[in-house]
Amino acid sequence: MNMLASYLTLAAVLFCVGLYGVLTKRNAIIVLLSIELMLNAVNLNLVAFSKYGVQPSLTGQIFSLFTMTVAAAEAAVGVAILVAIYRAKTSVNVDEFDELRR
Amino acid sequence: MSSLAEYAWLVPVFPAAAFAALTAMGRGAGRAGAWIGTLASLVSLILSLLIAGQRLSGTAEEYSNHFDWIQVGNTTLPIGFEVTNLTSLMLVVVTLVSFLVNLYSQGYMKDDERISTFFAYVALFSASMLGLVLSYNLLTMYIFWELVGVCSFLLVGFWFRKPEARAAAKKAFIVTRIGDLGLLIAILLLFWYMPNHELDFTNLHNVFGTQTGVISTGITTLIALLIFLGAVGKSGQFPLHVWLPDAMEGPTPISALIHAATMVAAGVFLVARTFDIFHASQAAMDTVAVIGAFTAIFAATIGLAQNDIKRILAYSTVSQLGYMMLALGVGSVSAAMFHLFTHAFFKALLFLGAGSVIHSVHTQDIREMGGLGGRMKITAWTFGIGALALSGIPPLAGFWSKDAVLTAALDGHPVYFVVGVVAAFFTALYMARLFFLVFAGKPRGDAHAHESPAVMTIPLVVLAVLAALAGFVQTPFNGWFGEWLTGEAEQEHASGLVIIVSTAVGLLGVYLGWLIYAKGTVRRDIVSSRMPGVVRLLERKYYVDELYHYVIVKPLEGLGKLLIAFDDYVVDGAVRLAGMSASAIGRLNTRLQSGQVQGYVLTALIGLVILALAVAGRRFW
Amino acid sequence: MNFNIQLTGEFIAFFALAVCAIVGAVMALNFTKVVHTALSLAFTFIALAGLYVVLDAEFVAFVQVLLYVGAITILMIFGIMMTKHQGEGQEPARPLLETLAAVGCLCLLAILIFAIRDADFPAETASLPADTTREIGMQLFTRMAVPFELVSVLLTVAFIGAIALAKKEEDPK
Repeated sequence: MNMLASYLTLAAVLFCVGLYGVLTKRNAIIVLLSIELMLNAVNLNLVAFSKYGVQPSLTGQIFSLFTMTVAAAEAAVGVAILVAIYRAKTSVNVDEFDELRR
Repeated sequence: MSSLAEYAWLVPVFPAAAFAALTAMGRGAGRAGAWIGTLASLVSLILSLLIAGQRLSGTAEEYSNHFDWIQVGNTTLPIGFEVTNLTSLMLVVVTLVSFLVNLYSQGYMKDDERISTFFAYVALFSASMLGLVLSYNLLTMYIFWELVGVCSFLLVGFWFRKPEARAAAKKAFIVTRIGDLGLLIAILLLFWYMPNHELDFTNLHNVFGTQTGVISTGITTLIALLIFLGAVGKSGQFPLHVWLPDAMEGPTPISALIHAATMVAAGVFLVARTFDIFHASQAAMDTVAVIGAFTAIFAATIGLAQNDIKRILAYSTVSQLGYMMLALGVGSVSAAMFHLFTHAFFKALLFLGAGSVIHSVHTQDIREMGGLGGRMKITAWTFGIGALALSGIPPLAGFWSKDAVLTAALDGHPVYFVVGVVAAFFTALYMARLFFLVFAGKPRGDAHAHESPAVMTIPLVVLAVLAALAGFVQTPFNGWFGEWLTGEAEQEHASGLVIIVSTAVGLLGVYLGWLIYAKGTVRRDIVSSRMPGVVRLLERKYYVDELYHYVIVKPLEGLGKLLIAFDDYVVDGAVRLAGMSASAIGRLNTRLQSGQVQGYVLTALIGLVILALAVAGRRFW
Repeated sequence: MNFNIQLTGEFIAFFALAVCAIVGAVMALNFTKVVHTALSLAFTFIALAGLYVVLDAEFVAFVQVLLYVGAITILMIFGIMMTKHQGEGQEPARPLLETLAAVGCLCLLAILIFAIRDADFPAETASLPADTTREIGMQLFTRMAVPFELVSVLLTVAFIGAIALAKKEEDPK
């Protein structure tokens, strides 16, 4: 009867794997993909609560739809930025993007 | 009857306005600025003469007016002005000398590019000095007292490109400052002890002169001595006399105006104005007399051995101011003020004459002068009159006033009298030396001496006439001046002894000087060959400057160095430590600030974990 | 254990899909080639879509497949194609960063699992309507109309921005 906890645990695992990817991967594309994975983990939570929450409601699902839309926008802008940086630096290695220090 | 005294406050306003105008015009004013200053002093002079004239007629009441300046609780600090016979006398002296010096400076400072600045300072000085003279209470007086000190500083250091002038200005300011502090403390004490915190001279007169016992004798003595300390600083009395000879680095008209006739006399004037306080304390009176007598003979002996024409006159000034203090110390305000009055004329005359000589030969060393009498007739004659007046040769002004002082001294204590007479002898001797070395004999310098322009000689002539005749306002046979001044009947005591002795020592001094320096019958090194130590002592001015240097200046410098070291190592060390720790933390943080986004995210993650652990951990506390 | 394992159909489906998702995610991080990573993550996204179906969210599952597997993964592959990826895996390792990241992630996971197990989830009081897709459509055009339109504006802006960013700048003459 405790499926909710199982879904949440799965989401937590996925979230942490994504986070590890964000933290350690050099390739910017993989970093972006890892972020998508983290977003998906959150979506899973939303949908799980939509069914197993105290008051099941469609709002969770609708919210996850919005999240996906925003994730799509984010991915598009992210890839665009990546391409622009690549043009300037001829590299997609995150550890070479140190403009923040300047 | 409307009294002109009501308008006395206008007297200092004219020079003050001139100062403001000259300052506003800046350096561009040039010769026009000089005329503005002179004109303002002329107007002041006329007004002062009118006021004094009205007072001389004897009918005018003493007039004072004041308004509240600061009000704190029930206490008010008024400022205002007061016209008495004494102040009107001082008004005339100050404005007259000021006007003549202004006129004289037209010639003397002609080629100076900062001439309008000079006249601005002189105007400010005149305004401050007149304000000081007119002051209605001690507080007002103190304000102007400090202002004249500032003007003295500015004018002594007028040629500030000369390092000696800078040093002298600083010295003058700092040394008089010591005295000023005494005066300030005295004023604070008076404010504390006086009934109703009144500081005006009328109340001082009432409290100290008539109602004895309001303030205890000890406090009275303390206050009197502190006031006297202020006077000592301003009037160059021993042991604070050291600044006055150095102040001769300023332009010569300034030496005449400030350091001979007016500002240095302010100390005497201050004591005269607060004389009731001194009169209430015998100890204070004795101190004043002893200091005055000592300074008189001390400075006169130094004057014997100096070679700078202005320094000789400066030591002479110190000595004569000592006479005035001596007179005050033995209780004779009228003698002191009389001597101040005549001294202002003949010492201003001497300084202006010296300025005329310096202007002509461009040196101040009397050993390089000589034979100027033939080429500078007016200067020589007027200077001679001034020298004789100072030496106390009858019937010139100096004789009568010195006679009055010596008479008072004889009434006080025979020692004072003897000291005064010996000092008078030395005075006559050094003035004879000065006069004969400069004007008699053969020219020693190669300068092409010439007579100064009329604008400089006219003040000399005017002052010479005054130096010759001013003494007749009070002779031993005619005490009118003293009566007018103090309002008390002066017993007419013609003391034959004093007249004969003072005339004799004066003539003796002059004769001896003539023998040594003009005729040459007595060799010049008669003293220096026998007692080189004494001459050296006099040339080095009794080593007072050196003493101060080692006893006061050096330890203070040491203290300063110590404080600098403290500042450098402790204070700055702490500051540097703070700075270095901040920059060290910064360096540490720049390593964190690598620009690597993943590093930032990791830091955020670790922070989040720690935060979560901390929040969760609180449950188990 | 408070996972009371009852071998229901839902549990089996959940278990299988969860294993798929986790394996896909972990493998994605293990691959050295970027394309493999992208494909592996697509596998995870599909598994997640299956989980949405299990959770009675057919429409969300549909959108998941359409958007993530269809759009985002393809977008990423285009990104991969537009950039060079030679010399992958030859950079010096960053042991400090990786260790710290692993420790941080594990700690976070531990905290999350602890929180999930510690939490008390009351049983649901109602159930979802049968036709969720229809209901979502109804809500999107009634109650959620304004956010819906706002999201469309956001998308437009994002895509215009993406084009502006990625466009090659003309050589200034």
